[in-house]
Amino acid sequence: MNIVNSIIKFGVLAVIILILAVLGYALFGDRDLTKTSPLIGKEAPGFTIKLYDGKRITSEELKGKTVLLNFWASWCTPCRQEAPALEEAWQKYKDMNVVFLGVNVWDDNENAMAYMKKFGGEYPHGIDPEEEIQVNFGIGGVPETYFIDETGKIRDKYNGPLTRDIIDYYLERAMKPEEQTS
Amino acid sequence: MTLFGTKKYTGFVMTALLALILFSAPAFAAEKSIDDRVNEIAYHLMCPVCQGQSVAESNSNLANDMRMIIRKQLEEGKTNQEVLDYFVKRYGDSILSSPPTKGINWLLWIMPGVAVALGAVGIALFLHKSKRPEDEAEFIAAAPEKESEDEYLKKVDEELKKYE
Repeated sequence: MNIVNSIIKFGVLAVIILILAVLGYALFGDRDLTKTSPLIGKEAPGFTIKLYDGKRITSEELKGKTVLLNFWASWCTPCRQEAPALEEAWQKYKDMNVVFLGVNVWDDNENAMAYMKKFGGEYPHGIDPEEEIQVNFGIGGVPETYFIDETGKIRDKYNGPLTRDIIDYYLERAMKPEEQTS
Repeated sequence: MTLFGTKKYTGFVMTALLALILFSAPAFAAEKSIDDRVNEIAYHLMCPVCQGQSVAESNSNLANDMRMIIRKQLEEGKTNQEVLDYFVKRYGDSILSSPPTKGINWLLWIMPGVAVALGAVGIALFLHKSKRPEDEAEFIAAAPEKESEDEYLKKVDEELKKYE
């Protein structure tokens, strides 16, 4: 009788462990947690940005260039934190067929202009008048930055404030052919 | 004749109206407004910047943008599934409020049922096991009582015999 009881107890324990293992695998096991966006490795969504100097720039015009697409807002403290690194990196890469493009989101125009004067640097910034680019790129907050290669493919996405080292790392990856980085 | 004719005409019109109402009612019921469809889709999407809120419930800027895009895509003629796919492509499966029944995810759907079934089996086993000793106890408890009762009656009889 004692042996039967032990077998039942062991069986119940085994079933509980099995259920927990299966649930754990279902929740976390089949996911690529290293990817910051499902868009990585895919063609970047098309966009038209209305720049603060009045011009417009489209994703089509940027084909053949490596693009750093940085989403920011004037109320975002980490955006201020990364601004000097972005400007420094821009000075380094501007003659290397690289385009830096700042996209202001969820902001009002006055605050954005004031931010631009103080932190904007020399590279172009603008907004999407349709306010769709942030969702098209799957943005969850600011700052977030996409690195797009010459073919128009998204190579990486970085969530949070950039530093010089992070910018160098991702830009150099984006500037190399995909086969050399994977 | 006129009255009969009118009655016949009225009856025909009433029947036609009834038929129209009956046949068109499901069509009206099935057709949802754009607002209803926006809400329906928004409830199926989790707001990426909120804590446990759906896009329908959140007032964040991102949720507002997402609702606007849902509306725009529905107005363009996209189906609910096509709109959901658009968001999944950009944010991944985690944007959905309930996991899709594909790959290993189907286990998430059947596991609650399996857990309830196992729980029911466990409870049944427990009840079955715990009932048996109780019955035995009742039997054991009842037996001496009867015996003692007999002995008592025996003694009473003996005592009564003394006075006969």
